[in-house]
Amino acid sequence: MSSIILFEDIFVVDKIDPDGKKFDKVSRIEARSQNCDMYMLLDVNVEIYPMLVGDKFALALAHTLNLDGTPDTGYYTQGGRKSLADKFEYIMHGKLYKISDEGSGKTLKAEIYVSYGGLLMMLKGDPSYITQFELDQKLFLLMRKL
Amino acid sequence: MLQPQQSSQNLVFTKQPYIEDVGPRKIKSIQFSMMSESEIMKAAEVQVYLGQYYNSNRVPIQGGLLDPRMGPANKSCSCATCHGGFGDCPGHFGYLNLALPVYNVGYLSTILDILKCICKSCSRILLDEKLCKEYLKKMRSPKMEALRKSDLMKSMVKKCSTMASKAVKCPRCGYINGMVKKAVGVLGIIHDLSKVNENEKECRSAISHTKESKASINAATYILNPVKVLFLFRRMTDEDCELLYLSDRPEKLIVTNIAVPPIAIRPSVIMDGSQSNENDITERLKRIIQANASLRQELLEASTAFKCLAGWDTLQVEVGQYINSDVRGVPFTMQVAKPLSGFVQRLKGKQGRFRGNLSGKRVEYTGRTVISPDPNLKITEVGIPIRMARILTYPERVSHHNIEKLRQCVRNGPDKYPGARMVRYPDGSARQVDRHLEDGDVVLFNRQPSLHRMSIMCHRARIMPWRTLRFNESVCNPYNADFDGDEMNMHVPQTEEARTEALMLMGVQNNLCTPKNGEILVASTQDFLTSSFLITRKDTFYDRAAFSLMCCYLGDGMDLIDLPTPAILKPIELWTGKQVFNVLLRPHANMRVYLNLTVKEKTYSNKLIRTEGDEEIRIDSMCPNDGFVYVRNSELISGQVGKATLGNGNKDGLYSVLLRDYGAHAAAVCMNRLAKLSSRWIGNHGFSIGIDDVQPKEELIDKKKRLLSENYEVCNVKIKEFNEGKLQLKPGCDAAQTLEALITDLLNRIREDAGKACMGGLPWRNSPLIMSQCGSKGSPINISQMVACVGQQSVGGRRAPNGFIDRSLPHFPRKSKAPAAKGFVANSFYSGLTATEFFFHTMGGREGLVDTAVKTADTGYMSRRLIKALEDLSIHYDNSVRNASGCIVQFLYGDDGMDPANMEGKSGDPLNFGRLLMKVEATCPVGENKYLSPEEISEMVRKLAEYGMNSDKCCSEAFIDSLRKFFEGHRDKLENKMKFIEDLSGDKNSDVLEKVVHKTSGITARQLEVFMETCFSRYRLKKIEAGTAIGAIGAQSIGEPGTQMTLKTFHFAGVASMNITQGVPRIKEIINGAKRISTPIITAELECDYNENSARVVKSRIEKTVLGQVAKSIKIVMTSRLSSIVITLDMQTIQDAHLCITADVVKESILQTPRIKLKEQHIKVLDFRKLEIFPPTEKSKIHFELHSLKKVLPMIMVKGIKTVERVVIAEKEKEKKKAKENEEEKKKYRLLVEGLVCLNF
Repeated sequence: MSSIILFEDIFVVDKIDPDGKKFDKVSRIEARSQNCDMYMLLDVNVEIYPMLVGDKFALALAHTLNLDGTPDTGYYTQGGRKSLADKFEYIMHGKLYKISDEGSGKTLKAEIYVSYGGLLMMLKGDPSYITQFELDQKLFLLMRKL
Repeated sequence: MLQPQQSSQNLVFTKQPYIEDVGPRKIKSIQFSMMSESEIMKAAEVQVYLGQYYNSNRVPIQGGLLDPRMGPANKSCSCATCHGGFGDCPGHFGYLNLALPVYNVGYLSTILDILKCICKSCSRILLDEKLCKEYLKKMRSPKMEALRKSDLMKSMVKKCSTMASKAVKCPRCGYINGMVKKAVGVLGIIHDLSKVNENEKECRSAISHTKESKASINAATYILNPVKVLFLFRRMTDEDCELLYLSDRPEKLIVTNIAVPPIAIRPSVIMDGSQSNENDITERLKRIIQANASLRQELLEASTAFKCLAGWDTLQVEVGQYINSDVRGVPFTMQVAKPLSGFVQRLKGKQGRFRGNLSGKRVEYTGRTVISPDPNLKITEVGIPIRMARILTYPERVSHHNIEKLRQCVRNGPDKYPGARMVRYPDGSARQVDRHLEDGDVVLFNRQPSLHRMSIMCHRARIMPWRTLRFNESVCNPYNADFDGDEMNMHVPQTEEARTEALMLMGVQNNLCTPKNGEILVASTQDFLTSSFLITRKDTFYDRAAFSLMCCYLGDGMDLIDLPTPAILKPIELWTGKQVFNVLLRPHANMRVYLNLTVKEKTYSNKLIRTEGDEEIRIDSMCPNDGFVYVRNSELISGQVGKATLGNGNKDGLYSVLLRDYGAHAAAVCMNRLAKLSSRWIGNHGFSIGIDDVQPKEELIDKKKRLLSENYEVCNVKIKEFNEGKLQLKPGCDAAQTLEALITDLLNRIREDAGKACMGGLPWRNSPLIMSQCGSKGSPINISQMVACVGQQSVGGRRAPNGFIDRSLPHFPRKSKAPAAKGFVANSFYSGLTATEFFFHTMGGREGLVDTAVKTADTGYMSRRLIKALEDLSIHYDNSVRNASGCIVQFLYGDDGMDPANMEGKSGDPLNFGRLLMKVEATCPVGENKYLSPEEISEMVRKLAEYGMNSDKCCSEAFIDSLRKFFEGHRDKLENKMKFIEDLSGDKNSDVLEKVVHKTSGITARQLEVFMETCFSRYRLKKIEAGTAIGAIGAQSIGEPGTQMTLKTFHFAGVASMNITQGVPRIKEIINGAKRISTPIITAELECDYNENSARVVKSRIEKTVLGQVAKSIKIVMTSRLSSIVITLDMQTIQDAHLCITADVVKESILQTPRIKLKEQHIKVLDFRKLEIFPPTEKSKIHFELHSLKKVLPMIMVKGIKTVERVVIAEKEKEKKKAKENEEEKKKYRLLVEGLVCLNF
């Protein structure tokens, strides 16, 4: 189980649309995690999954939805098999496209950028949480409000 | 030459004689010359002496101008000389004997030159023996080029004529020669002896006293008549002829016999009645015969010389006009409204023989109609109407592969579509069928004006119903076509070789980018951009049905498509619009296209997110407006695509990258798919514009009102200040100019601010806003003109001029400078213009129209001249650029031998290393490979660079250097980061950190190797090929953009009223090599550029300062005994301007001024600021002298450079910006000098 999920934490929404509302159906949320002190920017389709400031949600990043850990094929297959998805309310699929760092020395922080079909995510925090991610990895983002 | 051939034909050989194969014959030389009197007679078959055409039975008269011996006049008759038919007989010449010789007007200047050089008595050169020998030696030198020889001849003529301008005695016979010149008003040459003969002079003065008619004065000037000249020319020695660079006898320059051209070149058309329509040449000849006959009659009658001369003049004019009907010197009485065209007119000009018939011909197998768009066609295709396809044919050779098809075509006949027009049996072996055009045939497609080579390209035919030629809108750009009624031409190549050549060289796919700078030219436009922009919007989501439908849009239903995983899986499956684009770029997994690029779109907000040391890290893909387009391995990661990504003119755009990385085919296929997707999608989605799109909101109306009133108030204040003379002047401007600059500034600000407010208030669904954002059509200015405020109308770069006395229109008070009175339109197109505003708007509009009309003619001529100058330059196999005669123009084309069409970097660099590295890093995954340390990187780069320098890789040193430099930067970055980690060594986190650093900025050996290998192999392919016509390419690359420029001149930013000529007029200046350019401005950098005072000092030294500017007063002082002028200097002004001017300086400058007759003793310096001038004239004239001096004195230059009218101190722009950031107010200055001064330094 843990090998499927690459990162998991509970976040709280700080702000919605920090640069002003630009799109009807999509909002950018700024959130902070409670355990790992991670900072996150995430585009969410608020039309189907509304978010409000102060919302608390669990977030997980996994490289496959198959519970047995078989890697994702990259091509979509239908069929309602039992999967990781069952436990979450909002799931996106995308690709990790950039890893970068900020600051230097001890304060060095790492960032990963993921694009879920154009909905972007930026996750920033301690480098130790970032090392397990690889460039061009296919990722599933799973969310559940608490 | 003919004789030996004939004799050899008579001999009968028993064996075939051995003839050595000498290869193709070469022409050794061609000599052009005139025919002599006897040669013309020999060549002629008939003497023409009758100025008539037909007798009463409509039969051409013998000896007349249409004598049948000169060739058959029409198909029904045959030639009386060779008995050939109309088709076989080339025609024969006749001749026409003139009673008296006349000048050939084409050679009049040559005749004049010869006459200037020879003695009018003994026909020898006027120069002495020694000089003649010298010149002859030079003339005979075989090393000298023809051009130099003609220059030498010209210098000789000049020498002789300057000698003759006084009177020159012939060194051989002692005859005194005068000046030879062209007669004014008549076709003739005058030998002016007025200065020669002293007796004549006396005589003339005597005559002038008697108040005789002026005609008698002309008695001194001898008219050199053609008979006399002919006599002189006949006596000239051959040596003299050679000396004057004449290749033939000079007497041939004078017409004694006219060769009457064959009837074939001057056909006689018989009209239905009894009339016939004769050619201009024939009619001219008739008039010559008539003039000749009357002259001969006059001669026979032995009438007075005066009368005879009149007939001779008529003949001269007629013969002159026979050759060139525009000849100058035709008497007024003989001028007609529409002259008969002469031989020169037949040859000259656009419709003439050379440009109209030899260089350009009308051709077969062509078509022309109106064009219309069809996004369903591929970019390489052109839709051809069936009715056109039925007429245009291609001769297809019959083989057993196509015989069935062609049989069916022949059966269908010429009128049923897949038919055939003709069956040919060229040599008996294989037959050819001229079948109708069919799908896939190669055609050339062209739109005038053909300004560059992409104006004619090769397409594949698609036969379609209806009546227009159709093509994909993506190809509009190279043709510069739109569909408002444009027509285009097509040509069908008729041989297999021509087809292949056309396809390879002119195919659309092979001309996607312009050879001007390598930018892509065939790219998506208009609706394609709009729909792509809308599809890739961040909040477009599609469910399974909609997404699948869109995937089907982009092909013809035959392509394999892999459906990607939806971006949102839960709560419902949703795909984003960007995923549609992923499918478009790479529809299925077997397609090996891995596109990688980043583009900043117009909407990208350039806000800084943080700085790291000196480096500014921008937000890139996280841009809140989604303006950063990032494609990674053919997946659209972020960004709303618009013109920068898909449009033409960007080297980092999607199609450019596809073209460079995956070839023209990949780019073309992608364009086809996008065209189909977008046209079908936008057809369903709908995109239109309505009145509500341009309705301003209440808020905007209020804001605009506020803006207007505020700025009008400021304007009024400024105008008031101006009227009271209190306006603070701007540097280098007078009050009126300052006011204009201020008001223009204010008014522009109104429009800008109103525009900003308007753009901010528009909802994202607003159609004009979408179009302007994605770049398909319109700009923010266009929108704000519709919604908010039209703004200032300008005519000739100024506010509306005065059409009435002191005002622009009678609706305004006189001398009003208010915004509305000078053409400011405060209304928007939506709210409607007032009457005066409308009028001002039409003024601006008309200027634009006139501009376009004028510039097409101007730029057309400019392009033509450029092409004519450069047409023969091409690359030879030794990589040098040479002209047609093999002279080297450049040793290596462009100093690097690269093809500009293939340059990928923005500034013309061969490769964009940054992009290439990104691609390599994305396409070569790290996997288990090890990252390189900084040292390893340098070592590897060094090795690979050495490998690349090998002779077979043939990379230039500069290229390897730039590559090395690029990696140095890369390595330094990594090294810096590694250093920080090394400081932390021992920390438990250190290897974690190292891992992260490697992941962010590391590179593997494999990646580096692949990168270098691609660099080298690509560089080699980018070399220019031998045989490229780079002259024509260069000329087109300058000429074509010229047509798109405006003629206007623009302001210098910042410094008021320092205009510089730009655009077409400036290019014209450059091409003409104009010595006096219209706005000469020199930018002078100062040695000490931070001190404004020192800049002022330098300025005052350079700028022209006259006495009037620095004098307090210039007074006339008159006493009973003395009268003088006293000049008092204004020391205050002088000191303010940092001028070092004292009375002594002024005295010096007065003395140095030309045309002032003052001497040292006339000027007395009273003290350092005063001086007195005593003009040296008699008492009676002193009053006038004083006043004229007083007028002249203020204009005397006391300081500076004469040609420099103005010098302006300007702040340096760049430094200004940096100063702000560093908070150190360190302004830097430089001088802008107006005027031509470089020659004086």
